[in-house]
Formats: sequence, C-alpha cells, structure tokens
Amino acid sequence: MKKIEAIIKPFKLDDVKEALSDIGIYGMTVTEVNGYGRQKGHKEIYRGAEYVVDFVPKIKIEIVVNDDRAQEAVDTIRNAANSGKIGDGKIFVLSVEQAIRVRTGETGDEAL
Amino acid sequence: MTIERPEANILIGKRATLIQEFLTGESMDFLKSLTSFLDEYFYTVFEKSISARKMVVSGNPFAIIALGGYGRKEQCIHSDIDLLILFDRSVPLEVETFVQELLYPLWDARFEVGYAVRTIEECIDMSFERFDILTTVLDARFICGASLVYSSFMETFKSRLSGKRLKDTLNYLFEHGKKRLKDFGDSTYLVAPDLKSGFGGLRDYHTLLWYSKIKSNIKFRRDLEYYGFLSNFEYTSLEDSLAFIWDIRNRLHHITGRKCDTLHFEYQAEMATLLGYKNKAGQPDVERFLGELHGKMEFLKQLNQITFEDILFTRKIKKESAMPKPTKTEGLVIKNRRLYFANTVAILQKPDLLLKIFLESGQAKIPLSIEAMRVVSEFGHLVDDEMRTDPLCVKLFKRILALSYWEFNVLNVMLSTGILERFIPEFSAIVNKIQYNHYHLFPVDKHSIRCVQVINSFKEPGATQMKSLYAGVFKDIRNKNVLLVAALLHDIGKSDPAKEHSKRGVKIAGPILDRLGFNPTEKEDALFLIQHHLLLAKTATRRDIFDEETAVSTANVIGKIRLLRMLFLLTVADSKATGPKAWNDWTENLIKDLFLKTMGILKTGELASKKTQRLIDKKKQDVLALLRENWREESVSNRLNGMSQRYLLYVPAQNIVDHINLYRNLKDREFIWQITKENNSDIRTVSICGKDKPGFFSKIAGIFFLNHIDIVASQAYSLGDSHILDVFKVMPPKDLIFEREKWEKAEEDLTQALEDDHFLDKALGKIPDTLAISSGTPPETSKVRIDNQTSSFFTIIEVLTYDFPGLLFSITNALYRNGLNVNVAMVGGKVDQVIDIFYVRDINGDQKIESDDKLEQIKTSILNTLPHISAKEVLNEKN
Repeated sequence: MKKIEAIIKPFKLDDVKEALSDIGIYGMTVTEVNGYGRQKGHKEIYRGAEYVVDFVPKIKIEIVVNDDRAQEAVDTIRNAANSGKIGDGKIFVLSVEQAIRVRTGETGDEAL
Repeated sequence: MTIERPEANILIGKRATLIQEFLTGESMDFLKSLTSFLDEYFYTVFEKSISARKMVVSGNPFAIIALGGYGRKEQCIHSDIDLLILFDRSVPLEVETFVQELLYPLWDARFEVGYAVRTIEECIDMSFERFDILTTVLDARFICGASLVYSSFMETFKSRLSGKRLKDTLNYLFEHGKKRLKDFGDSTYLVAPDLKSGFGGLRDYHTLLWYSKIKSNIKFRRDLEYYGFLSNFEYTSLEDSLAFIWDIRNRLHHITGRKCDTLHFEYQAEMATLLGYKNKAGQPDVERFLGELHGKMEFLKQLNQITFEDILFTRKIKKESAMPKPTKTEGLVIKNRRLYFANTVAILQKPDLLLKIFLESGQAKIPLSIEAMRVVSEFGHLVDDEMRTDPLCVKLFKRILALSYWEFNVLNVMLSTGILERFIPEFSAIVNKIQYNHYHLFPVDKHSIRCVQVINSFKEPGATQMKSLYAGVFKDIRNKNVLLVAALLHDIGKSDPAKEHSKRGVKIAGPILDRLGFNPTEKEDALFLIQHHLLLAKTATRRDIFDEETAVSTANVIGKIRLLRMLFLLTVADSKATGPKAWNDWTENLIKDLFLKTMGILKTGELASKKTQRLIDKKKQDVLALLRENWREESVSNRLNGMSQRYLLYVPAQNIVDHINLYRNLKDREFIWQITKENNSDIRTVSICGKDKPGFFSKIAGIFFLNHIDIVASQAYSLGDSHILDVFKVMPPKDLIFEREKWEKAEEDLTQALEDDHFLDKALGKIPDTLAISSGTPPETSKVRIDNQTSSFFTIIEVLTYDFPGLLFSITNALYRNGLNVNVAMVGGKVDQVIDIFYVRDINGDQKIESDDKLEQIKTSILNTLPHISAKEVLNEKN
C-alpha cells in the first residue's frame, strides 16, 4: 500500500477531487495547510501598514491506495493540479505498513 | 460479591417498564417517576436493613439524602445517582456493611451510583471548601432515615451561608459560569449541542436555581415564580423548555445506552423522527426539530445571561434600591439593573417605545427585564405599516443596528420578542431556518444578526494586526448603515432553498430598503452587497489569487473602492458568523490577500475603470470583425477571454489578430513571428508568439541588436497559459536588398539564443561604455525607479535614459541575469530620452520581489550596464 500526500493550490482541489473520483478513488483526507517552497510569503500594503503573509495557503490531500494503483493516482493528481506555474505543489509517495478498518477490523487492501 | 436483593429486581423491572412507557409516549413524567422508584428502593432497603437498625440503636442516627440531579428529582435514564449518608456526629464502622447492602445490587445492575458518608460538620466544612460539593448540597433532598439529622444539617448550612461565605459562593457561581463558557462554549447552534453543560444547556437552569437557593429559602423549581425570581410567563417558558430538553436527553441516553448529553450529528435525524417531526413546506423534519431545540436553548441562555447580570450586581453592590430609576428615555425605567416600561399603557400612545427600549438597552448596557420582553411581544401588533416607514422609527432602527458590540445582544432580543419581524415582516421567512449540515451552525435569522454584531465589533481598535485591519477598513467606510443593513439582509433570499439566494435576496431587499428610507445610491450599494456577498469568499478559494487577472476581474465586478471595503467586511463577518468551518486563519489569509490585491487594482484604476472596460470591449469587437472570415466567433471570444486585461488594453487590434493567428500556428515550435511593413514608413512590426522561457524578451532584444535591427518600441506580455506575446516596432536593416535573408538569419539566431544561454555574450561586448548626448542643456544621468507598491503582482521598474542601439538588450539582460522574468514591458517611443517600463517577477518564485537588498542590487546592476552619459556639445567646442 502507498500513501500519497499532495500539496496543491487551493483552487485546484475540486479538479483533483473530480479527477480522482473519475478513476474510482473516492476517499481522501483534506487539510488546509500553510507553507512555502520556491513560492514564498509576501506583503501587501493598506494605508501605509504592511500586512505580511509569511506562508502561502495550500491544500494537502492524503490518500492511501494499493501498490498497483499508486502511479495512476499520482499521474491523475499531477494532471489535475497542474497550472504550469510555480507553486503548483508537490506530491509525495510513502509506503504504508498496515491499514485497518476500525469498524470491521479488516486489514490491508481490504481496509482501503 | 453479588447480593441478591428482590428490591433491586423490582427497581430494575419498574425502570424497564417506565422506559417502555416513555418510548411509547404513555409516561408523562419520566424524571419524577424514576426518582420515586429510586427513593422507594432506598427506603425499602433501609427499612429492612439490620445493619441500619444496629447503627440507629447504637446511637448513630443517620439520613439518606439525594444530591444533585437526583436531589432535584430530575433523573434521566442514565443520570448519575448521587447519595449522601449523613451522620449526626460520628461515622460508625457498621456503615460499610450497610453501604454494601444498599449499593452493591445497584452497581451490579450497572447504575451509576456515587455516594459519600459524612458527619454534618464534615459535610458543611467540605461544602465551603469545594464549591462543586456545595452546589450538590444546595439540591439536597431527604429520602429516608433520621429527618432530624437532615434538617439540622440544612439549618446549619444555611446559617453559615452568609457574610464572606455568601460572597465567596456568589463569586464562585460567577467564575464557574465564565469557566463553563470557556470549557464548553455556547451550545446553542452548535452542530452537536451539549444539552447539559454548554451555554443554553440545563446547567443554565441549575445556575439560576442555585443562585435563587443561595439568596432565599426556595426548595423547588416551582418556587422560582413564588419567590419572584421569575414571572409567571418566564416560569411557564422555563417549564416548557426543560420538558423539551429533558425529553431529548432521556431519549439520547436510551439510544446511546449511556450517560451521553451531547446530541451528536448522527443522532439528530433519528431524534427528529422519534419526536414525530414531519417534513413540511420544503423543510426537512430534522431542520424543524433543531430549529425548535435551539429556540428552547436560546431561552435558557437568555435566562442565564440575566442571572449573570444579577450575580454580578449582587456581588458589587450590597444594598439595592427598590425604587425605579428614570432613564434618559421617557417612559423607560431601570429597576435592579433591568429595563422596564414605566407604564405599559403609555405604549399605546407612543408605540415607538417598542423600539426605544432596545436602543436604550444597548446604549446604557442594561438588559431588558424579561417582563419588558413579554410586554414588547404582547404589544408587537402596534408595529404597523405606518411605523415601519415613519422616519423617526426608521432612524431608531438604524441606530439600533449600529449599537456597539455587547454580549447581551439587543438584536437577538428584538428577534426573540418578535419585534424585528414586525418591523421587517420579510424577516419572518428566515426565522429558525436551520440548514442541516456540518457547515452552517446557526439558523439564518440568528446568523444574520450575528453578522451585524461582528461588524459592530470592528469598531473596537484591534489588538492583532488583522483586527486593526478590520478596524481601519471599518473606519474608512463612510456610510456604515449601508453595510449594516446589507449584513442584516444578506441571506434574506434563503427563505426558499430551491432558489439562488443572492439574487432572490436582491428582489426581497429592494422594498425593505425603500421603506427604511435609503436613497437610490445607498440602496444600489446595499443591493450590490447582498447580491455579491459570496464573491470574495468564492474567488479566494476557487481561483488563483496570485494571478493578476483574478484581482482584475474581481475589481471589475466591484468597480468602486467603497464597495470593496464594505464587501470585504461583510465577507469576514458573514464567514465569522457562520461557524468555525467557514472561518479560520487559512481562509482569513486568502480573503485578506484577495481584498488587498483587488484594492491595489481599483486604486490604480488602470485596468478596472469603466473607461478601460469600454476600450477593451470595443477592441474585442474590432478583433472579432477582423477575424470573422477565418475564425468562428466563439473560438475568438474564448481566446480573447483568456488574454490579460493589460494586453487587451494596450495592444492594437491588428496585432492581437496577428497573435491569435500565430498562436494557432505555433504548435511545437519555441516561437513564431510575423513581420509586416507599415504603410508609408520604413518601420516593420514584428509580432511574436512563443513559449514562455526566462529571458525570452531579453534574447529577442539581443538578437535584434546583434543583427543591427534598431528597436523603436516594444511591448511584451505573458499569457496566462505560459505563452508570451510580444510586439516590436523596428527599423529594418540598413541594407534592404537582402532583407528577407536578414530576417531569416535573425530567426536562426533567436533559435540558437533560446537554446544556448551564452549565445549572446558576444553582443554584450558591443554595448558602448559612454554615450555622448547633444542637447541644449547638460544631459541627465540615467535613472532607475523601482515601484514596489502599485502592484501586488509585479515589481515595476522604470528606466530613464537616452536611447542607443542595444539599450533594451542591456537592460533586459541585466534583469534576466538578476533572476527576473519580464512579464510586461512598455518600451517607449523614440524621442531622445526614453522611459522604459518593465513589470517583473522573480523567476524562482514567480512573484514580485520583496527583499529591499535585492531591489537595490537590481537597480545597481541596471545602472552599471548602461553607458556613461556625457555631453556632446562640449566635445564639439573643443574640436
């Protein structure tokens, strides 16, 4: 099993969600996050006062899929989240040792 | 150890029957019945107990006393049973055997029983040490045993509850309430309301009861009215609310099989069905159920707020004057820190008192007495059409809307007494309109009022940066009434869930604004705010706010700075008043950013003025006309809509047409250009479309310089989808015989330059070191101005210097080597002195430059790359 973590631009969430459900991935965890990479925070000025935004708002989505679907999921996220610009985000793929469904106790792929 | 006790089995059996009767609706008074079954159990076991008799005989009389909720006879299915076994002077050892006899069977049957064995003296001492014990003792009720022990305990307790102890106790009640708000929050309108501990929960009533018990000798809930703590009206409402909430709490205990007092989301639909709610008028049963529940909890909360005011008052001042004090409003008086009508009949002559009492309350920060609330409700019918349009009443209403923030929300009381609906009848349609989901916590009416309250809270200068931004923007709004009325009415269109509420809201709000005497401009503004109240929140989360076009199109919709300011605060207030899902730092940041960026666009006015819009629309029409033959109108429109406003504003229609054609033919190539000859002139226009690569613009300028093509003017734009569109006006090569071949050579060079970053190094060496200028006055030195404030998206660099071949290349090369991408360039016409303007962004982060050091470095390196300016005339004279 692989866990896919993707940091994307907020306005791309709906596109990514839709693209993933098109390939049959319906579940995901979504978190509103702040951070920076090459795209840094910035400042704005209103009436002489500076308003500094240290971090750039992003969305983090997390999904866990079985190994043979990981590449497809990554590609789908990448296509949907791509606007060709800096700040489009990053995707991380991690190995998952075990998954357990709380209600039934099913494990492994069954639990996904 | 299991002790078989027939009494326990009887109790269990009776309880099971009672639960059945409760579920089928046959049992009318579950709480009291369960209490009495428990009482019976304790009584019978006590009567039969040999160990109990032994203790009494050996001179240790004792009483079995019910505490807490059991003491109040309010026993729900899984409520704790709190028991006190109280001895007169000393606790004998045999008590242990008795407790086993008494409680083991209950524990075995999984009753939650807590007990304490104490002497009178111990118990009193502990009560004043630990206030949680004190409150349970306040509810103590004798069950069986030696009643004398109980009564002497209560007498001693009461006599000690005076002086400093009384003050401490009241202090505790007050602090406890504050802590409760901190720990549990306001339960009214939570997605999962806490029926017991949160504000609006049963604890509000407990607090009132405790307070009343501390202050006087009342024993039962019924006494609250008899001792004047509540009016009959209030008491009836209290009974009604309690019965409703207890019913739900009891069912919740049954459903969950444990003492669960939080009505979680997943139980709500089931509860609505159990209580017999039906879908009606397009509103689901669960929404109707929650609407009613929140109404009852709201009542408990108001009761609690008033209790609090009382406690606060009792703590502060020892003696209260029973005489009513006049207020500055004739016809209203203050008694015991509550607002009353001096004379109810006077309302008939002066119905505007029905509004004045709210204004007075908010200004003096004195709550309405519940009596006054009742009177207001009863006289509500006096608010008629005449009053609704009467200028004085309208003025009163506007002043009420603008009252400063106060926990005791006057508008809420206006709502709960029905006066708000009387004054704005359209409001009725959204009263108690619950939206059943995790996102919307409040019914629409309450939400709207909270929204007004949040806006008024912006009056306070803020402690944090964000709060001071809100306060600053609020201060900048001249006509606050427009914003406040829009806040009150922004969701008025939600009465019909099937329709788009923003648009519907405009239709409903129009006549209201007329009645409230708003002039045409104010009305138009308010309607705009209602219609577009979701614009900023939606745009901030659904579009790329780092793209200038997002801010430009937002600015175009809003059009005026005053509207943007109001819309911003309305958006913030609307989100804050919706609930935590709609508002957090993350959303706050996005919306603030969009606001400031849009403000930047509106202030500059360049891209979002009416005039700009007209010019752009006209130009789009021209382009459409020029392309009509070879293109479908729809696909041209799509192209045009994808282009930046700045591009459409500044590039002539013919060049746009060229670009559209080039773009279609670009395919896999890095760039494609088209060279056209201007009528009656030597000048050539080169239109270029290419894939955006850092340094592209600089490289074009470089190969023109290398090929002796003199640049007269140029404009560069990047398209949103990482393409660039440039227009160069150039003088052709001096020798025109092989012009075509020369252009081909240039094209070849550009291809190479794009591949090889050092291809143009040889051209760099050809840039002159000094430039001699002939003019009447001594020439000025070159200047670089950097404007980092005008635009949120670009750093704007202006270069003032004298023109020479290679000028554009030398500047743009310096920019490129500093890691900057030229997104927009406007390179000026050919008089001696030129002002070249570049809108640049950092290649690395695709955003404007923030660091002052970096800006200084850019400035220096541009100045260093430019030739030294000297005067030619001086040289001529020498020769």
